[in-house]
Amino acid sequence: MASVKVNIMTLTALKYKKIENQIDKDSTELVFKRKELIEQFVNRKESNSIDVLRNTIYIQELDFIEPYTRIIDEYFQNVFAKSKIAKEMTLKGNPVAIVALGGYGRAEQCVHSDVDILILFEKRLPENTETLVKEIIYPLWDAKLETGYAVRTIKECLAMAWEEFDILTTMLDARFICGGSHIYSILMEKFRTKLTNRYTHTSLNRLIEQSQKRYIDYGDSTYLLEPNLKSGHGGLRDYHNIVWYARIVSDIKCRRDLEHYGFLSHDEFKTLENSLNFIWTIRNMLHYIAGRKCDQLHFEHQVELAKIFGYKDKNGHKAVEIFMGKLHSKMDFIKQINLMLTEDIQLSKRARIFTSIKRATNYKGIVIRERRLEFDSIEMIPHNLDLLLKIFFESGRLKKPLSIEARRVVGEFAYLIDDKFRKEPSNVEVFEEILSHSLWEFNVLNVMLTTGLLAKFIPEFSLIINKIQYNQYHLFPVDKHSIRCVQVINSFRESNTKNSNFDKLSSGLSQNLNNNFDESNHPNHLYAEICKELRNKKTLLMAALLHDIGKGDPAEEHSERGSEIARKIVMRSGYSQADIDEVVFLIKNHLFLIKIATRRDISDEETAVFCASKIEKIALLKKLYILTVADSMATGPKAWSGWTEALLRDLFMKVMGVIKDRELATKKAAKTIQRKKEEVLELSRSIALKGNSYSNDSTKLLIDEAKLLIDEANLLKELDSMSRRYLLYVSASEIVSHLNLYKQLQNRDFLWKITSEDNDNSEIRTITICGNDKPGFYSKLAGVFFLNGLNIVGSQAYSFGSNTALDIFKVMPPKDKIFENEKWQKAEREFQQALNDDSFLERLIDKLPKTITPKSGHIPMPNEVRIDNETSSFFTVIEVFAYDFPGLLFAITNVLYKLGLDVRVAVVATKIDQVVDVFYVRAIDNGKIDDIKRQEEIKIAILNALPLITN
Amino acid sequence: MKKIEAIIKPFKLDDVKEALNEIGIQGMTISEVKGYGRQKGHKEIYRGAEYVVDFVPKIKLEILVKKEQAEEVVNTICKASNTGKIGDGKIFVLPVDDVIRVRTGERGADAL
Repeated sequence: MASVKVNIMTLTALKYKKIENQIDKDSTELVFKRKELIEQFVNRKESNSIDVLRNTIYIQELDFIEPYTRIIDEYFQNVFAKSKIAKEMTLKGNPVAIVALGGYGRAEQCVHSDVDILILFEKRLPENTETLVKEIIYPLWDAKLETGYAVRTIKECLAMAWEEFDILTTMLDARFICGGSHIYSILMEKFRTKLTNRYTHTSLNRLIEQSQKRYIDYGDSTYLLEPNLKSGHGGLRDYHNIVWYARIVSDIKCRRDLEHYGFLSHDEFKTLENSLNFIWTIRNMLHYIAGRKCDQLHFEHQVELAKIFGYKDKNGHKAVEIFMGKLHSKMDFIKQINLMLTEDIQLSKRARIFTSIKRATNYKGIVIRERRLEFDSIEMIPHNLDLLLKIFFESGRLKKPLSIEARRVVGEFAYLIDDKFRKEPSNVEVFEEILSHSLWEFNVLNVMLTTGLLAKFIPEFSLIINKIQYNQYHLFPVDKHSIRCVQVINSFRESNTKNSNFDKLSSGLSQNLNNNFDESNHPNHLYAEICKELRNKKTLLMAALLHDIGKGDPAEEHSERGSEIARKIVMRSGYSQADIDEVVFLIKNHLFLIKIATRRDISDEETAVFCASKIEKIALLKKLYILTVADSMATGPKAWSGWTEALLRDLFMKVMGVIKDRELATKKAAKTIQRKKEEVLELSRSIALKGNSYSNDSTKLLIDEAKLLIDEANLLKELDSMSRRYLLYVSASEIVSHLNLYKQLQNRDFLWKITSEDNDNSEIRTITICGNDKPGFYSKLAGVFFLNGLNIVGSQAYSFGSNTALDIFKVMPPKDKIFENEKWQKAEREFQQALNDDSFLERLIDKLPKTITPKSGHIPMPNEVRIDNETSSFFTVIEVFAYDFPGLLFAITNVLYKLGLDVRVAVVATKIDQVVDVFYVRAIDNGKIDDIKRQEEIKIAILNALPLITN
Repeated sequence: MKKIEAIIKPFKLDDVKEALNEIGIQGMTISEVKGYGRQKGHKEIYRGAEYVVDFVPKIKLEILVKKEQAEEVVNTICKASNTGKIGDGKIFVLPVDDVIRVRTGERGADAL
């Protein structure tokens, strides 16, 4: 067996040699002509490219793809005419037909496209097919043309077509080149008969399945940064789908037939032709500069192509942005057409029986026919312009698409929309409904955009249509991004119920990032909760739609500019002043939270207080938060990840805590703080001037004045760094004295100052201690006072800067006042000792009472410790209810210190005879104590340190 | 050559970048990372539902320098990213066997 094979091989090799020279000539000619054509294409593009690409006129003659197809056709015809084997086959009664398939079959051959060939026989394959293949295919390989071929009989072709969908589609594109034309005719006739009789529905199903799979594989390429011109959504494959669909149902012969057979209207076909030309031109040039078959438009090529096609920077927009914007609008059109026809296919499968039965909708003049929304009669529209808006509302509400005809009608009548129409309250209301009905799976706003109605209703929107931002961050043109933002918000509302598409989207996003952090609680739940609580959503949705409207004008900061444009729009729409302010605020600050979350220390209470005092209202904060999240999600995976999400959510919760608290962030608080700062400045100025008044030297005065100014600037800086809590609760004169103390502190461990109340009768002494903040500072102070028999009646703890503690204690003076000063000095020494030696105060613990008997007449209340994590976002609040006794504060704070908790704020108050001491503590790691077990430990430790209550 | 890996708080990135720029560091790689060390995550409660942040968002910097420069870079990052609080991060210094610039094939310190 083996030897026979070898013989055949050598035999064919010999035969091949004989004809080699002639074929060589043909393939050389092909190579030459191809080169010539490509050069012509490239050079012409360079000379008058702008005309070609900007041309909106219907171009009948295609620049490259058709002539190139003809050149290849010629090659086959020439080679075939010379082929002895082909003649031999015909003589033997088994002729061959050469058939073009795929893109070559459609006569749409690009620079580096594959050449797909079917070598077709009627009933059986002759023995010498291999020689034929060598004759006609090998030269193409030598010429470096990617060539694929199949040798089949009619029967095989048909069988495979129903098995493999890819083969079916290539058959749909089949085109006869040369050889026995009757074989081709037989194949096509049988193919068509079977297709129409038996396989129409299965084929259509497969067509839809196939494209859905492709969308998953390639994503929605229309707005990808590096779109795939062929396989992406909106790419050429979408157009192929349209052709295949048309060929499956009606045997169209050429592209033009799409219009003639009624698949597309005249305008649609014109626009399709135009879009295809644009994409083909780019694809050919891309093949050419890449030097290979390459359909993904990478960044580096985008810039190059924009340059080649003569795009120039204009009005602050980069050439490449304008170029890509144009490309996206073309791809979007193809995508839209494909979507509409897909809807057609689904319709024709499911709803044949319903044809032409009209159903009414909520609005007279709008009807449902064949599951599409249509205008009942076009004559009505000029007198009932509101129908143009209402059809979109109905579409969103009923989740039914507009018919192609209805879309065309909207587009044609849109010019009638004027300011009066835009101001009409009922129209504004309908538009708001449309906004809240724009969902992922049913994008009614997008349809409104593509028909041109959106830009007519909000003319300012046209500034951002197809506006591309050329960077890695923004995936979508501004208009699409804005609409996506609205959709994201609507999907939050839906996500509790059924919206699985959205979950897919967000999980897709995190997959893109390879973010495998498993957060147990799905954050979308939080957004859904928040959205549910929002009452007036129209301001949020309006702000979402318009938040980037300022990007049309690249010269200015877009949030600022956008908020002004939006103000005009909502004023025209008759919004109340409060609503106008809200929309303006949201747009102006739509980057505020994300900036703070990523650029400020959000574990610092001051950051949250700063945000809270700017936003003020909880409802507004929620809206701003949702807008921020939706904006980031709608931008793309680079802008939204679990990382950003965690930061932003943390900030949101903290700001909300502060606003709820309502003391640090109110307008009144802000005013008080401002006033206090001024007072402090005033005070310190007068003190400084007093010091100078004795000097007569004018130069010295000048120097002092300059010094004063510097001092004041420093002082202001210091004041800004102080916590609001402190500025709010401490008087200006006290602040000045604290600052003095702070200045004198220098390298010492601590410094204290004892004052008695102005009222001489008062027994109470105020001890202000400024010191290096170390763990235990507060508890040791309490201990020293206890050691010296000084009864603490109140205390406040603050910090200055990051490392300095400022504690204020109110204590009863020693009963024996004769040597009061000496007693204070002793306490001061002991405090120093306690700071140096942790065990110094240990002996005190034994001195604490073991039991306590409350005053008679009351049923004794048990000691109680409550731990509260909700009041503050920054601290765990520990409340201790206990009967007062000397050393109580020490007993509690000593336990807290030993547990490694840092006391930041302490409020001590007496209630009848039971005291309530409140401590704002943080764990050593600067966080709240979340762990339930740990909370129990703390409770038990404090309770154990308190004396037992006896009767 | 040394590779310096620093984990810092996100809001400190600009400060660190600027400080490194001042001492002539030209390039670095940054990534958004999450993790925890002594600064454990925490949880927030919204309407009774708990939202746990178990990994704290951080920024990771990677810088390749000559051996002699490593100490200065470490000190600079340390100074610029310090807030005095927990969670300020960590810096790792690793030895690097070789560096190759892909475009030219240059190796070692030349490729830095």
